[in-house]
Amino acid sequence: MTFVQFLFNIYAGITIAAAIGVVTVRNSVYAALCLILTFFSSAAIWILLEAEFLGIVLVLVYVGAVMVLFLFVIMMLDINREQLVERFIKYLPAGIAVAVIIAIEMIVVIQRSAFDTSEQYKAVAQNAPDYNNTEALGELLYTQYLYPFEIAAVVLLVAIIAAIMLTLRKRAVNVRSQDIEKQLRVRPEDRVRLVKMKSGQ
Amino acid sequence: MGTLYLLIPLAPLLGAILAGFFGKQLGRKGAHFVTSGLVAFSFILSVIAFMQMDANEVYNQTVYQWAVIDNIKMEVGFLVDHLTIMMMLVVTFVSLMVHIYTIGYMHDDPGYQRFFSYISLFTFSMLMLVMSNNFLQLFFGWEAVGLVSYLLIGFWYKKDTAIYANMKAFLVNRVGDFGFLLGIGVIVIYANSLDYITVFERLGVAMGGDNNMLPLDALTQAWGLNHQDMIALLLFIGAMGKSAQVPLHVWLPDSMEGPTPISALIHAATMVTAGIFMVSRLSPIFELSDTVLNFILIIGATTAFFMGLIGIIQNDIKRVVAYSTLSQLGYMVVALGASAYSAAVFHLMTHAFFKALLFLAAGSVIIAMHHEQDIRKMGGLKRHMPITYWTSLVGSLALIGIPGFAGFFSKDAIIEAVHASTLPAAGYAYFMVLLGVFVTAFYSFRMFFLVFHGDERMDDHTLHHLHESPKVVTIPLILLAIPSVIAGYFIGTMVMGDFFNQVTLLPKAEHLHQVTTIMVDHERHPAMEVLREEYHGIFSFIFHGMIALPFWLALAGVGAAWYIYMKDDSIADWFYNRFQWLYKILDNKYYFDTFNQKFFANGSLNLGTAFWTFDKTIIDGLFVNGVAKMTGWTARLLSHFQTGYLYHYVMAMALGVGFLMAWLFMALSA
Amino acid sequence: MMSAFEIARPEIFLLIAACVVLLLDLFVGKNARVVTYLATQASLLTTALLIYSSSFNQEMKVVGLDRMYVLDELAGFLKISIVGFAMLSFIYARKYLRDQNLWRGEFFVLGMTSVLGMLIMSSGYNLLVLYLGLEVLSLSMYALVALHRDNGKAIEAAMKYFILGAVGSGMLLYGMSLLYGISGGLGVDHLSTFFNAQPANDVKVLFALTFIVAGLAFKLGAVPFHMWLPDVYQGAPTAVTLFLGSAPKVAAFALVMRILAEGLGSVEESWSQMLMVLGLLSIIVGNLFAVAQHNMKRMLAYSTISHMGFIIMGVITSSHIGYSAAMFYVVTYALMSAAAFALLILLSRTGYEAETLDDLKGLNERSPWLAFLVMLMMLSMMGFPLTVGFYSKLAVIQAVVGKELVWPAVIMVVMSVVGAFYYLRVLKLMYFEKPADNTTIDVGIDFYGVLSVNSLLLLGLGVFPGGLMALCSAVLSASQL
Repeated sequence: MTFVQFLFNIYAGITIAAAIGVVTVRNSVYAALCLILTFFSSAAIWILLEAEFLGIVLVLVYVGAVMVLFLFVIMMLDINREQLVERFIKYLPAGIAVAVIIAIEMIVVIQRSAFDTSEQYKAVAQNAPDYNNTEALGELLYTQYLYPFEIAAVVLLVAIIAAIMLTLRKRAVNVRSQDIEKQLRVRPEDRVRLVKMKSGQ
Repeated sequence: MGTLYLLIPLAPLLGAILAGFFGKQLGRKGAHFVTSGLVAFSFILSVIAFMQMDANEVYNQTVYQWAVIDNIKMEVGFLVDHLTIMMMLVVTFVSLMVHIYTIGYMHDDPGYQRFFSYISLFTFSMLMLVMSNNFLQLFFGWEAVGLVSYLLIGFWYKKDTAIYANMKAFLVNRVGDFGFLLGIGVIVIYANSLDYITVFERLGVAMGGDNNMLPLDALTQAWGLNHQDMIALLLFIGAMGKSAQVPLHVWLPDSMEGPTPISALIHAATMVTAGIFMVSRLSPIFELSDTVLNFILIIGATTAFFMGLIGIIQNDIKRVVAYSTLSQLGYMVVALGASAYSAAVFHLMTHAFFKALLFLAAGSVIIAMHHEQDIRKMGGLKRHMPITYWTSLVGSLALIGIPGFAGFFSKDAIIEAVHASTLPAAGYAYFMVLLGVFVTAFYSFRMFFLVFHGDERMDDHTLHHLHESPKVVTIPLILLAIPSVIAGYFIGTMVMGDFFNQVTLLPKAEHLHQVTTIMVDHERHPAMEVLREEYHGIFSFIFHGMIALPFWLALAGVGAAWYIYMKDDSIADWFYNRFQWLYKILDNKYYFDTFNQKFFANGSLNLGTAFWTFDKTIIDGLFVNGVAKMTGWTARLLSHFQTGYLYHYVMAMALGVGFLMAWLFMALSA
Repeated sequence: MMSAFEIARPEIFLLIAACVVLLLDLFVGKNARVVTYLATQASLLTTALLIYSSSFNQEMKVVGLDRMYVLDELAGFLKISIVGFAMLSFIYARKYLRDQNLWRGEFFVLGMTSVLGMLIMSSGYNLLVLYLGLEVLSLSMYALVALHRDNGKAIEAAMKYFILGAVGSGMLLYGMSLLYGISGGLGVDHLSTFFNAQPANDVKVLFALTFIVAGLAFKLGAVPFHMWLPDVYQGAPTAVTLFLGSAPKVAAFALVMRILAEGLGSVEESWSQMLMVLGLLSIIVGNLFAVAQHNMKRMLAYSTISHMGFIIMGVITSSHIGYSAAMFYVVTYALMSAAAFALLILLSRTGYEAETLDDLKGLNERSPWLAFLVMLMMLSMMGFPLTVGFYSKLAVIQAVVGKELVWPAVIMVVMSVVGAFYYLRVLKLMYFEKPADNTTIDVGIDFYGVLSVNSLLLLGLGVFPGGLMALCSAVLSASQL
C-alpha cells in the first residue's frame, strides 16, 4: 500500500462514516455538520486524484456557501424532533431491510465481474509536474463540452426563474416601505400644523 | 373513372349527414331538396358511368387501405362491371323515385328530416354493398342496410307493433348474418384474402386437387361436405336472412309496419335482393357446389309457392304485396339454384320496378283511404284514382307475367331455366314455380279487383274525401310504370347475350385464368346454354310464351279471381267452410311464427333464465362480485403503497430497483 | 462559413425567445398579458418552422457539436410534435389560467424552457446532453406544478415530484456513469459501436441497465416507479397537467429511443425482458387502479400509466414495426390526453375546478356536441374500432404477437377490456344521468373549435390511420431503426 492509497482509505472511510452520520444523527444541526465533513473529505479525495480545482470548488461552493445557508435555514425552522424520531424508528427496520437487500445485490453483481481496470483508467493519475487541472478542465468545458456546458447554464437560469416565481410576492397591503416620490412631493402643510395657543394657559 | 365511382355513393352519404345532423337548420323543404338532389346526382352519375363503361374492361381498384393484418388487407375498393352498374342504376333510380314520393307521403310526419336522412343513408349503404370488390366492404354494406332497415321499420317508434316488428327483423337477420360472417371467416381461412378476385382464384385452385388439410376439413368432411360446400352454404344462409327465404322469411311481412316508401325501397326493390345480388356476384364460388345449388333450388321453390299461397288470404293491402315479394324472391332464388344467375338478376331488376310501383300505388291508396289498409273496406277506387288504377294495373300485369310486360320475360326465363336444369331438385322446383304462377295471378288480381272494382265499401266520410293523390306521388308511379313495361326487352342482351360475361383476367393465376362477371360451369349446369340455344329473338320468345303453360295458368288465376271475388262470392265462403283446416294453416302462416315464438323465443327465454340463475350465483356471485371484491381488496392492499407519503414512494422505487436486480440474477442464472 | 452552432438553430432561437418573452412580460401589464401569450405562440411556431427547415432535407443523420447533437428525421418528427403539442396545450391553458387567477407570464416562460429541454433531449447524441435536457425539462415542470403556490395540494404535488424526480434522475445518472465506466464514453454512437462488439447478457451491462431502465421507467411513469404520477396529475393546475400529459411523453419516448434503441440496441435482450415486466405491470396496475378512482384527473393519471405500458410494450419488441407502433401510439396518445384534460378546463370556471366524475353527469343535456366529443375521446382511449386508439393498440399488440410474445399480448387485451369499464362509465354518466349543475357552458369559439378539431382528429386518424403510420415508419427507417 502506497502512501496515497493509505490516505485514500482514510478519507474514504471518513466520507462514508460522515455520510452515515448525516442520516442517523438526531440533531439536524449535527447532521448538517456531518455533511460538511463529508464534503471536506471528498474534496480531499479529489485532490489526491490531482483534481485540485474540483476539490477547491467543492469546499468553496458547498461548504462555504451552500451549507452555511443550509445551517441558517435549519436553525430558523422549528422542527419537531420527537415526531421525527418516532417515524424514523417506525420505518427503520423496513428501510434497513431494503437497503441491505440492494447492497447485497450490488455487491454480488459487482464482485462477479470487476470493472475494466486496464490502461485508460490507470493513465489518469500520472501527469507532468506542471500539469494544470484548472486549465485542462477549462479547455474541455469550452471546446468539446461547450454544448452541455451551455445547457447546464440553462438549467441554472430555469432554477432562478422558478425560485423567483415561487417566492417573490408583491404584497399590496400591510407593507411599510418607503415611497420616495411621495416623500419628495410632500408639502409643509400636509405634515405640520401650526396651532396658535393662548399664552399662559 | 375512380373519382366518378367514389362520388356515386358519397353523394347520398352527404345528403344523409346534412339531413340528419342539420335537419333543423335545413328545414323540411331544405332536407328533401338536398337529399333528393344528391340522389338524383348519384343517379345521373350512374347513368354516365354506364354510358362510358368499356364493355371489355372491368374496373377493379382499391380506393383506400384501412389496415393490414397478417397479409389480409382490409380495404375500401370498387369492382364495377355490368352487374354492378345495373344494380347501381336500379338502386339510385328506385331510390330517387322513393325520395320524390316521400315528399308527398310523409308530408305531415314530424320525423320528416330523419326519414330523408335514413333513406339517403340506405342508398349509400346499398351502393357500398353492390360496388364492393371485397368481402369486408360487402359485409359493411350488408350490415349497414340491415341497420337502416331496422331503424326504418321502427320509424314510428311509439307504435308497439313497429317496435316488435323491427326487433323481429333484427333478430331474424342476425341468424342469417351469423351464417354470412362464418362464411366469410371460412373463406379467409382457405383463401387468406378478402378480395373477390383473389378468393375466386384461390378457391378454384383448391378445387383443382390441391389437398392441403386445414383444421376445418375434418369438421366439414364429417358432415359429408367439402369446404366449398361449407362456404357456399354459409354464404347462402346469409342470403336467406336478407332475402327472406323460408324459414328466415318471417320478418318481412311484419316489416310492413314501417312507412310505405320504405316497404317499396328496402323491403321490395333493393335491400331484400341483396342476397340475390350476393350469390350472383359470388357465382364462381357457388358453381363449385352442386349440393348447395340443390339446397338453393328447394328453398327458393318452397318460398315461391307456399308464401304465395298465404298472400291469397291476407286482407291488409301491404301484406298482400309483401307476400308477393316473398314469393318473387323465391323465384329469383330458384333461378340461382338452376345456375341461371343472369335470369335471377334480370328478374331482380324487373321486379324492382314493378314491385316498387305496386308498393307505391298501395301507398297512394292508403293515403286516399286515410290510412285504412284493409282491402275489404275498399272497392271501386278506379273512378276516384285513375292514375293509381292504371299504374297498378301495369304493375299487376307485369307481376303475373302477361307477355309483353317486364315480368313475363324474366319469369319465363326462370321457369325455362329450371325446366332445363339437370340437378335432382329441379323437378320439384319446376312443379312449384309453375303452380306459383297461378297463385301469383290469383292473389294479385284478388287484391286488384277488391281495391279498384266492385262496390265502394268504405264509410261515407272516407268516400266523400276520396281523390287522386298529389303529383309528387303520381309522377313516381308513372315513371316506374314505364320500365315495368319496357325493361323486359333487354332480355336479349342481359340474359341471352354476353352482358354478364365481362372478363377479369388473372395474370398470375395457376388454375383460373379469367373470371367473368357471372361464371357458370356449363358442363355441369347446362340450363342457360339450353335457353340460349332455344332463344330466337324477342318476338318469338313472346309468341312462345303465349302458347306455353305458364301463360294459361296466369290467365286461369286472373279468371278465377274475377269469378270468385267479382261474380259469385259464395264460392269463397264455400271454400272457406269446406277447407277450414287449410285456411287455418295459411292464416297462421304455416305456424312459423308460433313455432318461433314457442320454441326459439320461449326456449331462449328459458335458457336465459337458466343462464341467469347460473349467472346470478356463479358468475355474478363468484366471478363478477368476487372479482370486484378482489379488485377492491387488491386496490386497498396496493393503496397502502399509494399513501401519499413521500418515503413510501421512494421505498417503492427502491423495491422496484431491488426487484429488477433480482430479475437480473434470474437472467444470469438461467 | 457555417458556424458549428448553426446546427442547433431551433434550440438557440427558443432559448433567446424565452429570455425575450421573460423580459417582455415585465413590461406588459396584467391586462396586456395576452401579448406574452402571443409572443410565446409565435416563438414556438417559428421554432417549429426552423426545425422543419433543418431536419428533413438531409439524406442521412447529421451529427454535430463534437458529436453531442444529432439531426435526423426521428428527431425532426418528434421535435415538431413536441412543439405542436406545446402550442396546443397553451391554447387550452389560456382559458384556465385566466379563470383561476394564474394568468402570469412565468407559465409561458417556463413552458418554453421545458420545450427547450424536450428539444435538447430529442436531439441529444450524448448521455450527458440527454441528461441535461431532461433536467431542464424536469426543473421547469417542478416549478410549473407549483404554479398555484397558495394551493396546498399543488405545493405538495410539486414537492413530491421534485424529490422523487431527483431520485429518478439519480438512478438514471448512476446507470449512465456505470455505462461510462464500462465503455469509456458517453456518446450514443460510441455506446452503439462498443456494445456491438460486446457479448450480450454481460453482468456489468445488466447492472448498468437496471438503473438506466429504472430511471427511464420513472420518467415514463411505469409501475413501480409511477407513484408520483397520480399525485402530480391531481395536484397540479389542470393546465399544467394537460401540458405534462402531452408533449413530455413524446420527449420521454425520444429519450428511450435514443438510449435504448439506438445506443443499446445491440444488447436489446438484456433490457427488453426487464422493461417488458414493467410494461405489463403498468398495464395491469394502471387499469385496475383507474377503476376505483372518482377523481377524473386521477383516473386519467392511472390510464396514462396503462397507456405508457402499451408504449413500453411496443419498444420492447425492438423491431421496426414495434418502434413505429410505439411512436404512433405516443403521438396519438398525447392527442387524446390533451383533449381529455382540455375537457376539464372547459368545464371549470372562475372559482370552480371541475375534476370529479360528477362534473360530467348529464353532459349530453347541457351540450350534446361536447358530449359527443367526449365520447370520441373515451372510445379512443378505450381502443374502440374506428377511433385512433383502436389502431394504435392494435399496432402494438400486432408487434408484440409478431415477437411471439403471446401471453403478454393476451394480458394486454384482457386489461384493455378492464379499462373499457371506466371509460364507458364516463359515457354512462354523460348520457344517462341528470346533470348535477346546470350552468351553461360558455367558452370562446377558439377553444371550442380547437377542442372539436382535436377530438375529431381522433376519429379521423382512426378511419385513416395509414398516413400517420406510414410517416412514423418512414421516419424510423430514415434513422435506421
